[in-house]
Amino acid sequence: MALVAIVTLALLAVAVVCGLVIGPTPIGTARVLGDVFSHVGLGHSTLTSTQSAIIWTIRAPRMVLGLLAGAMLAVAGATYQGVFRNPLADPYLLGVAAGAGLGATIAIVDLGGGLNTPSWTPPLAFVGAMVAVVVTWVIGGRGLRSSTSTLILAGVAVAALLTSSQTFLLQQSSPNSIALVYIWLLGSLASASWSSVELVLPYVLVCVVVCVAAGQALDVMSVGEDESRSLGLPVGKVRLIVIAASSLGTAAIVSAVGLIGFVGIIVPHIVRLLVGTSYRRILPISVAFGAAFLIFADTIARTVMAPSELPIGVVTAIVGAPVFVFILSLRRQMAS
Amino acid sequence: MSTVELHDLSVEAGSTTLISDVSLNVEAGTWCTVIGPNGAGKTTLVETVAGLRRPSKGSVSISGAPVGSMSERERAKRVALVPQHPTVPAGMSVRDYVALGRTAYHGLLRAPSALDRKTVDTVLARLTLDEFSHRDVFTLSGGERQRMVLARALAQSTMVMVLDEPITGLDLRHQITILELLQKEVREGGLTVLATLHDLTLAGQFADRLVLLDHGAVVLDGPSGEVVRSEELQACYGMRLRVVDVDGADVVIPIRH
Repeated sequence: MALVAIVTLALLAVAVVCGLVIGPTPIGTARVLGDVFSHVGLGHSTLTSTQSAIIWTIRAPRMVLGLLAGAMLAVAGATYQGVFRNPLADPYLLGVAAGAGLGATIAIVDLGGGLNTPSWTPPLAFVGAMVAVVVTWVIGGRGLRSSTSTLILAGVAVAALLTSSQTFLLQQSSPNSIALVYIWLLGSLASASWSSVELVLPYVLVCVVVCVAAGQALDVMSVGEDESRSLGLPVGKVRLIVIAASSLGTAAIVSAVGLIGFVGIIVPHIVRLLVGTSYRRILPISVAFGAAFLIFADTIARTVMAPSELPIGVVTAIVGAPVFVFILSLRRQMAS
Repeated sequence: MSTVELHDLSVEAGSTTLISDVSLNVEAGTWCTVIGPNGAGKTTLVETVAGLRRPSKGSVSISGAPVGSMSERERAKRVALVPQHPTVPAGMSVRDYVALGRTAYHGLLRAPSALDRKTVDTVLARLTLDEFSHRDVFTLSGGERQRMVLARALAQSTMVMVLDEPITGLDLRHQITILELLQKEVREGGLTVLATLHDLTLAGQFADRLVLLDHGAVVLDGPSGEVVRSEELQACYGMRLRVVDVDGADVVIPIRH
């Protein structure tokens, strides 16, 4: 566990440096690091003002947003898997993705007239995502008395309804708006700025802390709902708090970067293979691993086909699936 | 004062009545076993005492405090449950599993205290589980697993323990081991036990008192020796039973037609 934590943190540090150093304009690693240290009063920067602007207004906010997105999606996926006791659960399970998709589509098709992606897109996506989760929660019996499978089924129904509404809206609109919506749905960190970081940071910070703190409760819940209640766990309350935190944080991230798939499901499973089944270990490691993973994925997304970009969702899957398979086979070899 | 008190208890699921008007007192430091055919309502009774089901009528109280108005945490400090089919989460160590019994004491945000850890150690030693403590729960045999579930319940440090068919699927020796461990807790630790059992011989030998339940209602409630010899018992199971005294212990034998 300690080794995994150290390696993961080292990986995150490397990812952060890669996020700052790698890009179409080559600036040496040492000079970038020198500039970073000069900001905390160590040594002097040797960067030109243009280079400094590239680092601090383009790469840094993008790297930080990727860090926040990866951390949030990974920890939300892990908590969902714990609270639903379902290995296939991901942060989009209760309709966040479908709600955000519909919100963004309304913004682009109706408000933007299908010509651009208006500034109203993130707030509408956020509202759509939260409305979807709340509706799922209410029709799923508020998760207090009903079983989690009722909640999952309610999520399926809500997602289906919202996705088909979105499809209808798109079908009525222009090809150009379809392209814009599609690009948004694939997810991207390209529009990252310090203001988008500032917008999502409070949500992500609070939600990540709440999710990580839920580790002990999720470990108890691994014996099932009735047994955990008999052990003294207020199952209904825990479920409400954990689902609220994961959904809120996910909605904030999705509204800023679109739908980035695969991180929320693959990262917790990779971490589980490395540290075992206790959520007290899975959750904090997932935060760091998810952050590192997404920064690396974004670095690949924006460099391999530069100046054009790959959708980050494509990279997370293409990189994530082999990594997962590799660790899975490694585990098997170690077990035998 | 009796420790567990069921007063006019009825439980419904939808339009089906599972148990109706059950009144029952279990004295502190005694062992009461509920017997009866499948579908009699034994599991419902146990789950209601453990606070997992809400009665439609009547109440359950422990040392005078109604179970229905307790928080999960308060309840878990008063009554421990050994369920009929406990969930065994693969990947968890035996020690961590037993430590789940301390959840109500340290809460969800704080680490287990020294007392919590000591309680777990003591229970592990008492049930001779210490040598398994680092094993994955999934690798245990049926007997070891049931001992571990009992250990988790004991780690809750409650005055009352309810057990639903705690010896199902165990071989003879392990059945006796589990029941003797429990008896020791009753005799030496003053634990109050409410259990359900199918084996009438073992039920009679280990309980101070038997309660015969059928169709959700109490048919007979009395000392073990009387209940196993009663006409009502044969009527409930719809078959003839003979009770033979073997070295001072009652053995219940079903007679085929």
